Amino acid sequence: MRKALMQTVSRIPLVVWAVIVIYPIIWMFLGSFKDYGEIFRSPWALPEAFEFDNFVQAWNDHGIGRSFVNSLLVTVLGCTLCMLFSLPTAYAIERIRFRGSKVLFNVYLASMMIPMVLGWIPLFFLLLQLNLLNNLLALSLIYAVTQVPFTVFILCSFLSGVPRDLEEAAAIDGMSQYGILFKIVAPLVTTGIITASIMNAVMYWNEYFMALIFLQSDEKNTLGVAMDLLANEAEYTNAWGALFAGLTIAIIPIMVIYAIFQRNITKGMTEGALKG
Amino acid sequence: MVQSKKQRFLFLAFCLGPTLLVFSVITLYPLVNGLYLSFFEWSGMSIEKTFVGLANYEKLFNDPIIPQTIWHDYFLVVTKVIGIMVLATYFAVALTQFRIKEAPFYRIVFFFPNIMSVVIIGILWQFIYNPDAGLVNSGLEAIGLEEWTQPWLGDLNWALPSLVLPSVWAGIGLFMLLLMGGIMSVPKSLYEAADLDGATEWQQFWRITVPMIWPQIRVSIIYIVITTLNGSFIIVQIMTRGGPSSSTEVMGSYLYEQAFEQFHFGYGAAIGMMILVLSLATVAVLQLVLRRERVEL
Repeated sequence: MRKALMQTVSRIPLVVWAVIVIYPIIWMFLGSFKDYGEIFRSPWALPEAFEFDNFVQAWNDHGIGRSFVNSLLVTVLGCTLCMLFSLPTAYAIERIRFRGSKVLFNVYLASMMIPMVLGWIPLFFLLLQLNLLNNLLALSLIYAVTQVPFTVFILCSFLSGVPRDLEEAAAIDGMSQYGILFKIVAPLVTTGIITASIMNAVMYWNEYFMALIFLQSDEKNTLGVAMDLLANEAEYTNAWGALFAGLTIAIIPIMVIYAIFQRNITKGMTEGALKG
Repeated sequence: MVQSKKQRFLFLAFCLGPTLLVFSVITLYPLVNGLYLSFFEWSGMSIEKTFVGLANYEKLFNDPIIPQTIWHDYFLVVTKVIGIMVLATYFAVALTQFRIKEAPFYRIVFFFPNIMSVVIIGILWQFIYNPDAGLVNSGLEAIGLEEWTQPWLGDLNWALPSLVLPSVWAGIGLFMLLLMGGIMSVPKSLYEAADLDGATEWQQFWRITVPMIWPQIRVSIIYIVITTLNGSFIIVQIMTRGGPSSSTEVMGSYLYEQAFEQFHFGYGAAIGMMILVLSLATVAVLQLVLRRERVEL
């Protein structure tokens, strides 16, 4: 009896926190189907009708569609570039003995602790000089490099768990080191590549501040900046429905990714935090 | 492996060279250049930078906003560490040791905000704090506490504390998972022995769980401190832009304002150096303080 009571009591904080987490998200979904009057008249009720006007409006009139495509571009490109930079480096650090490998590893490690803000001012002027401000490709490259340290760690930890037999066998068969890296090692650490890439994709998709600084026109805005602009606009135009629709559009890919790769994401994040 | 020295060197260069090059240009160079810029007065418009020596740092020490931003940052650090660690530890213990059937559900739900865009989090919480239709005020009214209602984010005293809850909300899942990982690797025999000795669950928590997961607790605290000092300005920028009247201004948001809105790039860089020094110093102190309590098994 006492045990059952304890069980119930100890659950209360869990239930309360679950409500605090889920409620705002549900509220956002419901709000995306309501018009202005409805949101303030009955903020807690179900929408009177499930119509997609707000979504169409957000997508077309408020630039969410355009920035969705931009975000998709920087996310995919950023992940690809990051992996191309990180995998060979991780392989060299983990598998090839060379002087300074430990130092290099530690330089990458230490850079994860340094505040990015400090670098943004010089980076801004570097891009200005190279005429690369407001350029999605340049932003993708920057995104890729900012996640290189994290990705190198994740890949190193996966590589250390892969036995060397296959590499040695391939080397005896006369395969070049380049072949070994891309044809033998890369497939062996697929899980690591997926884990790191998913984490990176989530970071890039959600990134806000660098996009705010390095992008300068509506056509180039990624979702973070576009949503922030829409939120400010909504204060004057009362386009709350469209704002919620925009937020919903932005969060759906994250939910899908989370549903599919939940394990990779939680593993990647905890490992990254433990190392960093 | 049969390979010439030259081949080996070429392969190594292929693996490390390009990455190190882009990393140097995009991460290392800006940091060094940031330090360099902090000795100049520069509007960013002209090519001419004026060397001013330590004038920016002098300005830093005399700027009345700076102590406020530091205080605000450390307020967020302390409240976030307490809020996140208390809740995350409770959740981690509950989900691993209370034999709750639906534990995976809570784990999945609690972690989700960690992968949400901070922009979405900020906008949602602006609505939760909305003075007229927001969840907080209507909730208070519903339970008869009208006099407690506030304009939250618009109030000079309440704006900063109001930022703590969204930050805890957004961050808790990761630390819960870290601690859960720690708890699950504690040998069951320890608890069984404690049970035989008649230790209460509360005693077991303080005498077994906490010492055993101390490494995870330490990492979590340091991680919260670093990410707050380096990144608290993002949620500030979205939710309050430092207002009302700089009552929520933190170091990072002040840097952004000085550099990218008022075009004092040299001064902005000096603020950046201050953030760097403060966060490194804080972490060094924490490492020292938290290292002492270590258990050998």
